[in-house]
Amino acid sequence: MISFENIHKSFGSRGVLQGVSLSVPTGAIRFIIGASGAGKSVLVKHLIGLIRPDQGRISLDGEDITHLTEKGFYTVRMKCAMVFQHSTLFDSMSLIDNVKLPLRKHKNLTSSEAENEAMYRLEQVQMAKDARRYPADIGDGLRKRVAIARALTLDPKYVVFDEPTTGLDPLAAVNVDQLIRELSDEFNVTSIVVSHDLRSIFTVADQIAMLYNGQVLLDGTPDDFRQSDDSVIRQFIEGRATGPMEFPKASRG
Amino acid sequence: MGLLLSRQHQRSALLRAFALLSQTFLWLGRGSLRRRRQQFIEQLFEMGNRSVLFITVTLGTLGMISVFQVLIQVDRILPEYSVVGPAFLLTMVREFAPTIAGLMIATRVGSGIAAEIGSMVVTEQVDALRMCNAEPVDYLVAPRFAACLIQTVLLTMYGGVVSVVAGGLVANLVWGIPYEVFFRVDNITYSDFLAGFLKCVAYGIAIPIAAAQAGLETEGGSEGVGTATTRAVVNASFCVVVLDFILSGFAFFFLFD
Ligand SMILES: Nc1ncnc2c1ncn2[C@@H]1O[C@H](COP(=O)(O)OP(=O)(O)OP(=O)(O)O)[C@@H](O)[C@H]1O
Ligand SMILES: [Mg+2]
Repeated sequence: MISFENIHKSFGSRGVLQGVSLSVPTGAIRFIIGASGAGKSVLVKHLIGLIRPDQGRISLDGEDITHLTEKGFYTVRMKCAMVFQHSTLFDSMSLIDNVKLPLRKHKNLTSSEAENEAMYRLEQVQMAKDARRYPADIGDGLRKRVAIARALTLDPKYVVFDEPTTGLDPLAAVNVDQLIRELSDEFNVTSIVVSHDLRSIFTVADQIAMLYNGQVLLDGTPDDFRQSDDSVIRQFIEGRATGPMEFPKASRG
Repeated sequence: MGLLLSRQHQRSALLRAFALLSQTFLWLGRGSLRRRRQQFIEQLFEMGNRSVLFITVTLGTLGMISVFQVLIQVDRILPEYSVVGPAFLLTMVREFAPTIAGLMIATRVGSGIAAEIGSMVVTEQVDALRMCNAEPVDYLVAPRFAACLIQTVLLTMYGGVVSVVAGGLVANLVWGIPYEVFFRVDNITYSDFLAGFLKCVAYGIAIPIAAAQAGLETEGGSEGVGTATTRAVVNASFCVVVLDFILSGFAFFFLFD
């Protein structure tokens, strides 16, 4: 069970989150949607201590993790993995070394001890044959798959996917959607998925929250969203360029 | 690190720089270089390659021009060339070799450090490191810091030699001053070398810290990297000038008689 309570976060004078509350029950798949710059990435990074709230409370399995130290977050980061939006692999390491890194740092394994496990994870995302290549040599979609493999190496109970299907071809995107569903159905993994991808939103999500102007505009099931007659939500899920929706300013203060 | 980033707007830049410096020393003490030897060596070569031509040209030109200008003046006032060489060597050792080399390194190496770290921040690689329980200071700052410190000392010595030789050539070829008159070192003492050495060590410490700090504090997307790089060069050069002032004063009062 993950819960965010009344989270506020500003950068300079720019209030990105202004009282966001939402919770994710164990084993559920929670989607977070919203326009670019709405603060989706900022919100999910609070869970693993990469960003600290100005105000509010975050708890994980009933434990208050809002004020943990950087060291204290190590244990949180072991059970709570994240796939970053930029599919951030370390450029200076081969793909397999990237996947090994969490094993070596969190579990103190040597490079050869981590080898088999890392290989298995790469196979899971059909990337084993490229294990020795470097991130710069492969495309964005493939990097994203390796980033997913790396996030899953520690068998996390929670996974945050920040736009996991953006930049993937439709087939690979369906694969990722299935993987997320499987993690939830078979391993009771709790997922938070940030996404713009309407297809995955309506096929995979258990619950959806839409961020708008620093707050949760609607929190509900896919059906709630389909039936909503809020004009901003209609505009978003119908993908129309014109409508009442205000877009966050690109500039930052 | 977490502290450093999360409260960044509440603490002054100088305090944050000292915090970063002490964390860097902490990680170096914990054997960061041993674990990241390959990265350290790569950085050492990259920084050297990046700057060596630059330093050769700037310090060589500077040596030639300053000897030339001084000789023109000396020619007018007192045609007595024997003082020029020793005075030139002395100011080179104490002042110009370390400070000009420091400024050049602040631009070349400082911008490189900030751009590399900054682009890792905006592409979330720094977040990903923290996620893997790996300290960014340990992984990114410590190897660059050590490499930059060593290269600053080496490049300064090299640059000093280049400018002195270039100056000597001008004196000899243009003005016909014999080498044994120009290169008289008997009035240069260990204190002079010590003063020059202290300066380049101080620059070697300040430049990578100022640059890494600018890199780690990059905000926004790729345009943020540009801002961070500029800030790194400005701050690092400023550090060089201020440290030059402080250390020159220190040397004047405590080292030279
Ligand atoms: N570390 C930071 N420092 C300053 N501003 C930041 C920082 N991180 C994010 N922001 C700002 O917060 C706002 C929200 O950013 P965020 O990345 O959460 O958007 P998003 O909803 O994930 O959008 P996208 O779909 O483009 O990823 C943006 O305006 C961004 O510039
Ligand atoms: Mg985002």
